Amino acid sequence: MLQLTGLWMAIATFLGIWWGHVGVRWLEARSADVRRPALALISIGIGLNLYSLFAPSLTIAGVCSIIGITLLWDAFELYRQQRRVIKGHAPANPANPRHAAYLAAPDSHATTADLLKREPSDPTGFGGTQMSGGIGHTASSD
Amino acid sequence: MSLAGITLGLFSFGIIGFGFFWVIRTEYHLGYLWWPFPLLLGLALIAGSLFVGDAGWSALLGIAGASFVWGATELKEQAVRADLGWFRRNPGRKPAPPLVDLIKRVGAPHL
Repeated sequence: MLQLTGLWMAIATFLGIWWGHVGVRWLEARSADVRRPALALISIGIGLNLYSLFAPSLTIAGVCSIIGITLLWDAFELYRQQRRVIKGHAPANPANPRHAAYLAAPDSHATTADLLKREPSDPTGFGGTQMSGGIGHTASSD
Repeated sequence: MSLAGITLGLFSFGIIGFGFFWVIRTEYHLGYLWWPFPLLLGLALIAGSLFVGDAGWSALLGIAGASFVWGATELKEQAVRADLGWFRRNPGRKPAPPLVDLIKRVGAPHL
């Protein structure tokens, strides 16, 4: 008989990472204040991890803890996403008053353009193409 | 009360962190066109987890496999970040993976 525990963990891990990317971007772009969603993510994350201590099976305990820990990280990631928007590394949503303020600030780097939505240069060619849109620094955490 | 679930959660957290490390290094040295190889490794680990008798080892294989699958989807965006100057960029020519023409035609997945 097949052992399905690993498959469930894989699904939980992948969905956790997917939400950490797509969901956090979506939530940050629509929240006028990131503190409230961050608090909600922290509460759900702690709740899932507490439940995992008493879950009836390893599969349920593992899935709850994996999702719980990724949600805790996502609360922190909301603030990192906010920094990316300020730096222009993620698109600002002009309908969000917080983002509108970033866009209107003097010397703002914020932009509504999604700079990551493009094809990379061909790595098998010499040199490749340095794209415009970068702000010159290296080893960022984005 | 059992700490097994939390242990798996922490393992998942750690291996996702390791994923960021190897994605950056792989993109820098090999380029994003190597994405099918971590994808296949990840799928193989998940498939292998189905045939491991012990649930704990199966769980660890599944988590590691999903992390490699995700990393494969992250390589293309990492290449764009490097092109934009947000990460250190390797200006040299990178080695072409086997079946490079097919890989270019398929296009790299991303989240």
